[in-house]
Amino acid sequence: MEGHVLDFAFSAEQTAFRAELLELLREELPADWNGFFAEDRQTLAFTREFCRRLGERGLLTLAWPVEYGGRGSDIWTQTILREEMTAAGEPRGPQYMNLNYIGPLIMMYGTDAQKTRFLPPMARGEVIWTQAFSEPDAGSDLVSLRTRALAVDGGFEVTGQKIWSSYADSPADWALLLARTDPQAKPSQGISVFLVDMRLPGITVRPIESMGGWHEINEIFFDAVPVPADALLGPLHGGWELITAALTLERIGIPRYARAQRVLEQLVEHAVATGLTADPDVRQKLADLRVRCETARLLAYRAISLMARGEVPASEASMARIHATQLEQAVGHVGLEVLGASGRLGRTDEEHAPLRGLVRQQWVHNIPATIGAGTLEIQKNVVARVGLGLPRSG
Amino acid sequence: MNLLLSAEQTLLRDTARDFVQRTVARSPVREVEAGSDGYDAAAWAQMGHLGWTGLLVAEAASGAGHRSLELGLVLEELAGGPVIVPLIPSAVLAAVALEGASGTSPLGTWLEAIAGGEVIATVAVLEPGFRDEWQKPRTRLDGDAGVRLLTGRKILVPFAGASSVIVASAVSDAGLALVVVDTRASGVGMRRQDDAGGEPVFEVRFDGVAVNPESVIAEGEAASRLLDRVLQHGALLSTAHAVGLAQRALELSVEHAKTRVQFGRPIGAFQAVAHRCVDLACDVEACRYAWYQAAWKLDADAEAAFEIAAAKAYATEALRRVFLNAHQIHGAMGFSMEHDLQLFARRAKTFELSFGSAPFHRERIASMMGMAPAEGPGSR
Repeated sequence: MEGHVLDFAFSAEQTAFRAELLELLREELPADWNGFFAEDRQTLAFTREFCRRLGERGLLTLAWPVEYGGRGSDIWTQTILREEMTAAGEPRGPQYMNLNYIGPLIMMYGTDAQKTRFLPPMARGEVIWTQAFSEPDAGSDLVSLRTRALAVDGGFEVTGQKIWSSYADSPADWALLLARTDPQAKPSQGISVFLVDMRLPGITVRPIESMGGWHEINEIFFDAVPVPADALLGPLHGGWELITAALTLERIGIPRYARAQRVLEQLVEHAVATGLTADPDVRQKLADLRVRCETARLLAYRAISLMARGEVPASEASMARIHATQLEQAVGHVGLEVLGASGRLGRTDEEHAPLRGLVRQQWVHNIPATIGAGTLEIQKNVVARVGLGLPRSG
Repeated sequence: MNLLLSAEQTLLRDTARDFVQRTVARSPVREVEAGSDGYDAAAWAQMGHLGWTGLLVAEAASGAGHRSLELGLVLEELAGGPVIVPLIPSAVLAAVALEGASGTSPLGTWLEAIAGGEVIATVAVLEPGFRDEWQKPRTRLDGDAGVRLLTGRKILVPFAGASSVIVASAVSDAGLALVVVDTRASGVGMRRQDDAGGEPVFEVRFDGVAVNPESVIAEGEAASRLLDRVLQHGALLSTAHAVGLAQRALELSVEHAKTRVQFGRPIGAFQAVAHRCVDLACDVEACRYAWYQAAWKLDADAEAAFEIAAAKAYATEALRRVFLNAHQIHGAMGFSMEHDLQLFARRAKTFELSFGSAPFHRERIASMMGMAPAEGPGSR
């Protein structure tokens, strides 16, 4: 383990890398880029092109091992990449999921054939994945999921319904599917993970319109879908362990504090320029948000420090997410309060919308921040049990 | 980047933890509080030996250099006893106020004695009716060249009764002045005050105390800057101490939630209680890494004004939430003097009301963010 001395600074190399990234984003992003990709198809098309260009430069899968198309960079360089992408409104589009947890999960549990097949296209930025976890009756209680994968000749036959699947209609090429393979076993011991080709017969995707107006969340229907045997990831019936690992990676994967801070910085600039900061209450509230960006970032860095030491920081990742998601929501709510009535205006073509609707977007976009990847309450349960050793609630 | 303590820092923290356990076993805190001194003189006597009193003092003055992170780790542990000693007033506030003193001068002699733990020093800045107007004393330093006279009243001066020397703020013809007063000097009087917290505090009267030129630390702009530096160190290291208080509140709360049975199960199995414990833990960790970062920057000689203000602003409000949650988890039990929670709850309130409120520090941050400085009562 190198050094292991308390250090709150990035190295000169890492700082230079951040500057390089910022320059790249300035060059590549369209002039009217407001971030987040699922609002229209053109933006989505841009993200595909952007990923291919990042892939060419080896910037998509920076921290992946060289053998899987990565550059073997350290976790902090990868953190910088994630921060700048998230702060810029995620120009990688849906593909951040491949990089943050689907790819790493395949590295951890996949066969050599699966690694060779799935990882290089992710590294080249050519493929969109969706996740098929939640079901209409299995949300926070994910372990009660009912989608069946029945063992048949040559593989499995999958039947069931999934919901809240991000980017399935982008369209996704592949799905990370959770299905029940042993209905007789204890709920957590009869679940398996599959890597499913979304072009298989029997799969139907239905987009769900959200408050944000995007088609980012979907239902997926599986009707006797023939899934080949080599689609199984990890041990048969042993999928719950994989999903616990995946959720820890996902919770730490998106540096939400970085987006919150970027939106806050733009809001402060606007508030100073328009004289709003003459109000002491505005100053106090914006300063408070800035402080919370700092604590959210530090809690994420603590979890990452543990990962750098080879640990799986389940409780610490949840703590970081608890801070970051609530911060993101606060930036939206308090930001709109600062803007007042004008903050209601949105859309980039509305000339009177402050910051082209950025703060309104921040508010809407983050309504589900405390719901996805485990609700706030589920995150707290993780900390209560894993971090504090409190008894399971009955 | 790495936010985990080094092996040496962990060792120091463990040493401090052992020290605290042995100390509270020998002299229970309630006995110390009820005693005439109001602090643990025996524990204090060992601090110089352990090197803790010199952690902020330059090596030239027999200290360890600028090691606020190490001192903060010690303070976190001391708070968990709590072990009542004048480490913050003497080894932080007075030591920083005197940090520029040259070795051979009378002030430099005081500083070396402070660094070695041979004397206790304290700082007198608050006056009757003050909230936290550090820079606006009414105490006067009168006269021109030669011996001048200090006249005024200070309140909430920590450990003044045990101190050999007091660093006092005053207003002179040149503006703010910081002077050193020997507590045995003629014209110095003091009276123990009743404080909601847990440390012995005093009203100190300066009744025409003679101050010779060598006892003036700084005057005018230099004094303002120095006093602000003292305030910043106080804010930072009191935050470290406060994290120790909050950590104990967390431990007591989790323990209670695991062992207290109601409705046939430990109350920690109820989410309403478990989630309060989690909220508490999240606040403790956020405060902890905020002060670590500020101390690390300060020790690295980097600009740390933002990080210090952020740590203090966040912790001030977090500590309030922490103890609201802790009291709620404990139920009626936590309100009794017999239970340990009160030991930490009272000190947490002292922290909240010291070294600048959350709005005070947020206003500083707002200025650093480029927002127009406030006018009127907000500015200090």
